[in-house]
Amino acid sequence: MANTTDLPKHDVIIVGAGPAALSAAIYTTREDIETLLFERGVPGGLAAITDWVDNYPGFVDGVAGLELATALQKQAERFGAVIELGEVFSITDEGDWKRLDTTSGDMLAKVVLIATGSDYKKTGAPGEQEYFAHGVHYCATCDGAFYRDKRLVVIGGGNSAVQEAIFLTRFATHIDLLVRSTIKASDVLQTDLQKFIDEEKITVHLNTTIDEIVGEDGSVVKVAATKDGEPTDFPTDGVFVFVGLSPNSQFVKDLVELDEIGLIIADENLMTKVPGIFAAGDIRSHATMQIASATGEGATAALKIREYLEGRKHPAQN
Amino acid sequence: MVKNITIFTTNTCAYCVMVKRFLDTKNHTYDVVNLDEQPERQAEALALSGALTVPVTVVTKDDDTREVIVGYNLSKLAPAIA
Repeated sequence: MANTTDLPKHDVIIVGAGPAALSAAIYTTREDIETLLFERGVPGGLAAITDWVDNYPGFVDGVAGLELATALQKQAERFGAVIELGEVFSITDEGDWKRLDTTSGDMLAKVVLIATGSDYKKTGAPGEQEYFAHGVHYCATCDGAFYRDKRLVVIGGGNSAVQEAIFLTRFATHIDLLVRSTIKASDVLQTDLQKFIDEEKITVHLNTTIDEIVGEDGSVVKVAATKDGEPTDFPTDGVFVFVGLSPNSQFVKDLVELDEIGLIIADENLMTKVPGIFAAGDIRSHATMQIASATGEGATAALKIREYLEGRKHPAQN
Repeated sequence: MVKNITIFTTNTCAYCVMVKRFLDTKNHTYDVVNLDEQPERQAEALALSGALTVPVTVVTKDDDTREVIVGYNLSKLAPAIA
């Protein structure tokens, strides 16, 4: 292990570059706090691959997720934030410095903000992994175009499932929306959904659980499910899965405190149990999983980080 | 050496944007096949990648060998264009 004095040092390292992370970076860099972000996927996170964001304040008619993500990124970069496309594998608390093991090697930070968000969860049904990208998908905006004039199944009943099912109607002839219990999407989305139900573009199947994604000759041909307790087959050319979120917190599970679903527990200052390590956005326990909340939390985290850094300054530095 | 690069994309694909940005930072030029505008080329993308997804990046070398990178996968894309 390299000597601490030899390692690159940063004021703030933000793990993730989603809305919370980018918002925090806008605030820290505007105050001349040097900030490096690590992103293993796409800057903007899940927001970037969301078709349309209708409830982010300031956009009268809504905004494309990719457009919002790009704007957040450019704004942060305008103030000097640096986004490194790479991964943080682990964080070690060394007191005043936090050591991060990354794809670019070990480095140190005075403060770490964990804003890694979540990824879409898998159903775990047989066939799901086998047919991934060959009929099973988690990104409608990426892969929907392959299903022009085809029949689709969408699994899930939350905001993402309903919104992405509606998005997929621009390609598919018909969509069966399989919902484990009842639709949990917002009233606005449910109103939108009703239009597509009335046009017979989407059929909703409540109380339906997935048993298997079945294929033939390398292609998905049906979803075997149980609807109202009865085995039911849904013939399809493809399956899009939106059954909730899985927190990206495994890399710090032995460092910070997690709740029962793996979200990071932080105090009212958004600081974890480790001084100098903060959490914000969808990765934080009790987060509302909204982009507007995430950007707000990012701003709050940045201000709390500034207070923390001022507090830890040696008097001679003032 | 890289002879040419082709990216299969769609209008709404964020990972496609990332591939293009990465190639831009490395000063590589590339051709774009937008499957929303050219749906007739979907079969070509599928044949190259074996997957129903974008981005699909095809890197052709000077000796006409090809490397196909599926998705936004820097661990494969970076060495392919090096």
